[in-house]
Amino acid sequence: MQRVLDLAVSTVLLAGLYATMAYGLGLIYGVLRLVNLAHAGVIMAGAYLGWLLHLELGLDPYLSIPLVVAASFALGVVVYLALVRHLPRGTAGGPSSLLLLFGVWLVLRNAAYLLFTGNDQVIRTGYSIRSLALLGGFVSLNRLAVFAVAVVVPVGLHLLLQRTFVGRAIRAVAQNADSCTLVGVDVQRVYAFTFGLGTALAGLAGLLSATLFSFNPSFGASELLKSFVVVVLGGLGSILGTGLAALVLAAVEVFAILVLPSYLTGAVGFVMLVAVLVLRPGGLFGQRVLA
Amino acid sequence: MRPGIAVVVPSWASPRAAAGFLVALAALAGAPALTDVYTHNLLTLTYLSVSGALAWNWMGGFAGQVSFGHAAFFGLGGFVAARLLLAGTVPAWAAWLAGGLAAAVVALSAHPVLRLRGPYFSIATIGVGEAARVLFTYWEGFTGGASGLSLPVAPELKLQLYWWALALLGVAVAGSYTIRRSTLGLKLLAIKSDVEAAADVGVSSAFQQDVTLVLSAGMIGLTGGLYASYFSYIEPNDMLGFDRSISFVLMAVIGGLGTILGPLLGAVVFVLVRQYLLASYPQLYLGLYGALLIAIILFEPLGLTGLLLRLARRFGYRDRPDLAPGASAVKPAPAAAERR
Repeated sequence: MQRVLDLAVSTVLLAGLYATMAYGLGLIYGVLRLVNLAHAGVIMAGAYLGWLLHLELGLDPYLSIPLVVAASFALGVVVYLALVRHLPRGTAGGPSSLLLLFGVWLVLRNAAYLLFTGNDQVIRTGYSIRSLALLGGFVSLNRLAVFAVAVVVPVGLHLLLQRTFVGRAIRAVAQNADSCTLVGVDVQRVYAFTFGLGTALAGLAGLLSATLFSFNPSFGASELLKSFVVVVLGGLGSILGTGLAALVLAAVEVFAILVLPSYLTGAVGFVMLVAVLVLRPGGLFGQRVLA
Repeated sequence: MRPGIAVVVPSWASPRAAAGFLVALAALAGAPALTDVYTHNLLTLTYLSVSGALAWNWMGGFAGQVSFGHAAFFGLGGFVAARLLLAGTVPAWAAWLAGGLAAAVVALSAHPVLRLRGPYFSIATIGVGEAARVLFTYWEGFTGGASGLSLPVAPELKLQLYWWALALLGVAVAGSYTIRRSTLGLKLLAIKSDVEAAADVGVSSAFQQDVTLVLSAGMIGLTGGLYASYFSYIEPNDMLGFDRSISFVLMAVIGGLGTILGPLLGAVVFVLVRQYLLASYPQLYLGLYGALLIAIILFEPLGLTGLLLRLARRFGYRDRPDLAPGASAVKPAPAAAERR
């Protein structure tokens, strides 16, 4: 029983991280209708940036959040303005947008490899190994901190989308970009901002992951897949749905160790990805758009 | 042939082109007389890459389904062939063939994934590919786990492999032309342009893609088998790695997605660049190809083939607009329409 309780606690904590990873991917898909394969690269870049700030300036990873978010945002805007903007729109742009962003991922990955070599790194702080007694078990302080951030992010995102002018513009463009052009919304600017926002969230997720897991330039691939599972499962546009989907994914992964040999748990996420896509094809992304 | 169909058969798939191709094959078959062992082996590797890239292109280029998971078939074919070679009961060619067959049969199980289109399909293939890699890494009884399998070193076979690989290349090129010219090729073009419109005229996208994937996976599995013999050592993380899947994508896209010349050129460039220019900087190559990918998508979606076409046009070559290789849309032929 205690074991199940422990697993439940780790499920919830892990779900927070998964949801944070997924918001950016879902936002960009919802508004720009493209799957950002560079998401993986930005997650990796966020991890390295946080690591670098901690190593060189001694900056606590949680204090470096604004810097990492700002840098990832800038990266996203640059990628959008320099590359993505020139893609053909619509269904014809499908494979080419995928391949283009995949190219961006490869470049990011290689840049990290050249700068930081392929060695595994981790952000280690004074409280990395501290833990708190909770529900009869011990929970890492750092995991709780990550979860706290993961709770703040969707609230902030919700307020941004619902209560601000730019949020309203994003929702409007997601619904109908052509009409927005007619009433004088600078759609390209909204796209650039949304892309930046999506990558900023990816960078943040990378930073948070870096405090928990070791990473190297290839880091982010399985995070991308997990984000995709969450986005597909949760349906588009609902921040609550994304959170619930993250919970489902985390629960399946965590509780899989009760029934599966440990070496196979790594494949659970991938199998779930295919199962979700196949069993609920279409219709999943096609739900309400950022309502 | 019905009127209207003939129009889609590209002029460059003429008997003259076929004759030229056979002459080229014969010349390459005789080439080892002039080359040293190093070049000999490099050419073998190039032929294998060309075959893999062409087979990937049947799915990725002809059907428009960009797969990031083809390494699963490559690895499956490789390991089945390796196991049979280790058992030593069948000749090498039979082992490779069995590898290809195994991959083709397993490809049938991908049927549910084929309902997905575009990015959904691509992402699902990443999942399938990675799941296969994890499975193969831990299936030690079959694959030897992370330490892999060593095949008996057979220098004789490695030299002979040149002609086997060349034959495989011949089959891959001929297969590409055949698919392109067959009704299957037309149906794939229709599916690639608009799945729903294709379904409206009675083209079952799931079935046609099943057929294509079985062919593509079988070919890739066969390539994997020959590759296993070529290196005489294989391990799951190399055979089924994400980088392996990516290499098929890159070769085809750099050369020209959906064309036949493209994957051929792309694979040659890919292998040679990797071998010569980047031998001393192996860590650079993925980034270089990433940059190349970006440039190609933005400036020349048909890759090297597109560049060659531009060059040819400058020297007076005129292609009919509806005949551009890999054109994603088949335009109705006005002449045929009038005749009706």
